[in-house]
Order: sequence, then C-alpha cells, then structure tokens
Amino acid sequence: MSVTRINVGPIHPSTHGVIRLVVDVDGDTIVNVEPHAGFLHRGVEKLAETRMYMQIPPYTEKLDYVAPMSYDEAYVAAVEAAMGIEVNEKAKYVRTVLLELQRIASHLLGLGTLCNDIGQMFTVFMWTFKDRDIVLDLLQEATGSRMFYVNMRLGGMHAELPPDFAEHAYNTMNYIEKRVSQYETYVEKNTAFMERMRGIGVLSSEDAKALGVAGPVLRASGVNYDARKHSPYYMYDKFHFNPKVMLTGDNFARYKVRMLEMKESVRIVKAALKAMPEGSCLGMPVKLRSPNPVNRTVSVSRELPRGECMMYLVADPQKPYRLSIRSPNMVNLAAIGHIAKGARFADLFGILGTLDIIMGCVDR
Amino acid sequence: MADEIDHGSEEFADARQEMDQLVYDSLKSKEMKPNAMFARLSDLAKSAKMSRTAVTWARKNSLWPLQFGLACCAIELMDFGSSRIDAERKGYLLFRGTPRQCDVMVVAGWVTKSMVPEIKRLYEQMTEPRYVIAFGECATCGGPWWQSYNIVKGIDEVLHVDVYVAGCPPKPENLFAALMKLQKKVGGSIED
Repeated sequence: MSVTRINVGPIHPSTHGVIRLVVDVDGDTIVNVEPHAGFLHRGVEKLAETRMYMQIPPYTEKLDYVAPMSYDEAYVAAVEAAMGIEVNEKAKYVRTVLLELQRIASHLLGLGTLCNDIGQMFTVFMWTFKDRDIVLDLLQEATGSRMFYVNMRLGGMHAELPPDFAEHAYNTMNYIEKRVSQYETYVEKNTAFMERMRGIGVLSSEDAKALGVAGPVLRASGVNYDARKHSPYYMYDKFHFNPKVMLTGDNFARYKVRMLEMKESVRIVKAALKAMPEGSCLGMPVKLRSPNPVNRTVSVSRELPRGECMMYLVADPQKPYRLSIRSPNMVNLAAIGHIAKGARFADLFGILGTLDIIMGCVDR
Repeated sequence: MADEIDHGSEEFADARQEMDQLVYDSLKSKEMKPNAMFARLSDLAKSAKMSRTAVTWARKNSLWPLQFGLACCAIELMDFGSSRIDAERKGYLLFRGTPRQCDVMVVAGWVTKSMVPEIKRLYEQMTEPRYVIAFGECATCGGPWWQSYNIVKGIDEVLHVDVYVAGCPPKPENLFAALMKLQKKVGGSIED
C-alpha cells in the first residue's frame, strides 16, 4: 500500500494555536504523525534572564494563555522557594480558590473547542464560553483583570479579596456544578459525540508513563498521579479530594477526566471559601530590590490544568540566572504520534482536542 | 478606493437612503423580499454612477474575517464570537476557514519570524480589497516580547495595517469598536 503524506497547518483552522502536523496516511489510516513546533517561540526562558524577579510573571503567564494564573503562581512559588519566603495563611486559601477557578475556566474552554474539533460546531462552544465568561468575571472581581492577572506577590496576593467575593463565588460554583452535569448529559447522550470518543486514540498506562504525559491525559490512562495530591501545596492536603482516574485511556476518558475534575474543583473552591481564615492576604509589594535568594537552585512542581509543570530556577541576586520550564503541553503533544497511530485521519482532530494543548506553552 | 467617493454628493445620499429604505421596508413587512431587494440593488450597481456606492455599501456590511489566530489574543477573538458579545448579530463574524472568502484578517497574537512567511501567504491569498486589524500589543508593536530574538515588532513591518487595537489582551468589545471603525473606513468616511 502506498503512503500519502499530508501537511496539516500551521494555520490550522481550529483553536489550538499554530501547530504543523505532518501526517502519513495509508488510505484513511494514520501511519505516522510528526508534530512540528516552534511557530510561537519567543524565548521566554532567555528573556527571563534579563528581567528582575517580579518583572517576570507577565511573561510566564503568557505561556498558557488559557490558564494564565496557574503559571503565574508556579513561577512566584519558585521565587518564594528560592528566597525562603513563607506564604501567609490566608493567601494560601485565596490562591487555592483562584487556581481552582482558573482550572474550571480552562477546562470549560477545552470542552468547547473539543466539540468544535469533532464537528459539533458552536453549540457546546457557545454554552461553555458563556460559563467561562462568568468564571472570568469572578476572577476579574478578585484581581481586576479579565485575562492576565499578575496578582501574585511574594508571600501573598496583590490585594484583598472584595468583601462579597465569597458569596459570588459560592453562587457561581453552584451554577457551574449544575451546568457541568448538564453538559455531561447533553454531550454523552449524543451518539455522534460518543462514536468519535469511545475507543479512539487509546493510550495504555505503560505507554503513558513511558512517554511522560501529564495531567488529565495521564490520569485518563489509569495512572493515579496528581501533584496536588502527591506533593501537596497550599491547602490541597487539608481538603478531601481524589485525583480523577479513568482506566480506558481513550478520547472519552480524557474528556471525562476533565469533566470530573471540574466538579472536584467546585468542591475544593467551596471548601476553601468555607474554611477561609480572617486576616490579611497581602504579600510583599513589588520593589526594585527584591530580597536576596537563600537557595541557589530550586525546583517547584505544580499541577496546572493541563498537567504537571516544573519550574527550575537557578537564582542570582536580583534576577534569575536560569529559568527552565517543564511544560506539560510539550510532552502531551509529543505523544500524539503514538496515540494517533492506527486511528482514522478525521479522528486526529478529536485526539488533538482531547489532548487540549496550548501552543504558547509548547513553543515557549 | 476611498478617495473616489464623494460623500457630500446627492447621488451618494440618495442611493444610501434608497438602500436603507429597501432593507427597512422588507424588515418591517416581516416578510423579506430578497428578490425585489437584490433586483433593485443590482440596478443601482449597474448604473455607472451608483456602482461604487452600491458595492461599497455591500462590502462594508459584510466584513468576513479569516479564522486565524496566533496566541493569547485569539482566545479573546473566540470570546468575541461567542455568546456574550455575539458579533454575528452585527454581521461581522462569519469566520471563514479559507482566506479566499475573507475580507478581514485579524492578527491576534505575537508574530514570530517563522510565522511571517505564512501570514504573508495568507494575506496574498485573500481577495482584494483586504483589510488587516492588528489586535493587541504584540501585533501592534511586539508587546512585552520586543526584546526577544524571534519576534517581529508589529505586523505593520510586514503588512499594511488598517486598524490598531491596544491592550494586552484587548477586551472583546474593543474588537467590536475596531470593526466599526473599519466599516467607516471601508465606507470612506475615514481616511487612511
């Protein structure tokens, strides 16, 4: 049989950024997929070496522009670890709440674009974007910005939460919980959706471990690993929650893990709001001179919406000597050749949708 | 193109009034009479005096953007098309997958050196007249990445830009304003 080579992208008419895939197909069956990254490369790690410590969050948060706060927090946590700064008690709760809200917003976008990718154009997309906007409103209330926040300071936050935030957040979480259940019902009763999800793009747990995939993709393959649970930070060990694991490792499992995670996030937000202590959550104001680092080399691991990220920071006085980022999107994208092998060509975009990659983070 | 239309002229005013009346009547009668409307429009278009006006009127009210995003601002672009803003109610946002059907390219995101040939190629595939909106700081001037080794400092180094939108990222409402401005420009009431 002859193998045809098809070029997909880099202007892929979808929602995952500029990615180029070179696909070898035999008839309609994929023989090989080779992702080409680098169309969005702008040298974040190199730029970080020329900036002062607290000038860098605006750069790191543009890595994953669907969940900016998570990267913001991961970087600030690395700097805190390098400088030996303790996060104050209330800020821990506030960060937990905001990070989980960000996770919900990110997964909602993921669901909407996934449904676009497999051809259910714009119905679910419209719904999830409406709900995402509601969550973003909440984040805007807390931080003052809609998309890029830069609200983390060393040891705390840049401002207190508004007085009625807890009530708004609680109401919104009730609403989101209801909506997520509705999405599950709508989407999973749709035969076309299920046909394109079940049993397609299977990644076994051995392969998932060997390829080093991260986050929901890893958990969908039956590996019970979540950095929030297994190397807990902030308040995650205080609240009862379980990493959501599916065993099948197919498209459906990856979709379902995200839906279950959203419900779990809702629970965590509610619990954190209930347990939030009194007092101030303010951190150190941004000053020209930051405190000198006490640890030269730190590595911080965080569970972002798309998987586990590691920030490796070699600290010099005033600015990083080296900042290295382990991006979960990069490893998830690299696995696509393995996952898509043997699938139909049309299913490639379903698989890409369930991997839910963000090219800004892949290319850095 | 814009300089050929005299907006003060009576012809222009009359033609525009007649077209607005046509649309208004057909909407008011609750039963669209597209045939009558299009027949009249094509009459207007056939007459040499009116053709420019009629074409401009049609062009400015059917700006179709290219489905094309680069980075963060593309997420706001998606939001622009989704339920809260719902740009389609104004006729802007019939996102097309192929550049050959498009009038507007919204450059949303940072432009790297490796993307420049691709963007140029897309732009050249678009049919004339074609318009470019630089959406956000990065497309306008390089944004926070201006010191990076792989960044083009604004898409205007490569293409002619019609409307700039500031913000990092701009709110979806800002794109609405930008498209309204572009409409005015296409209609000829703003000079380049």
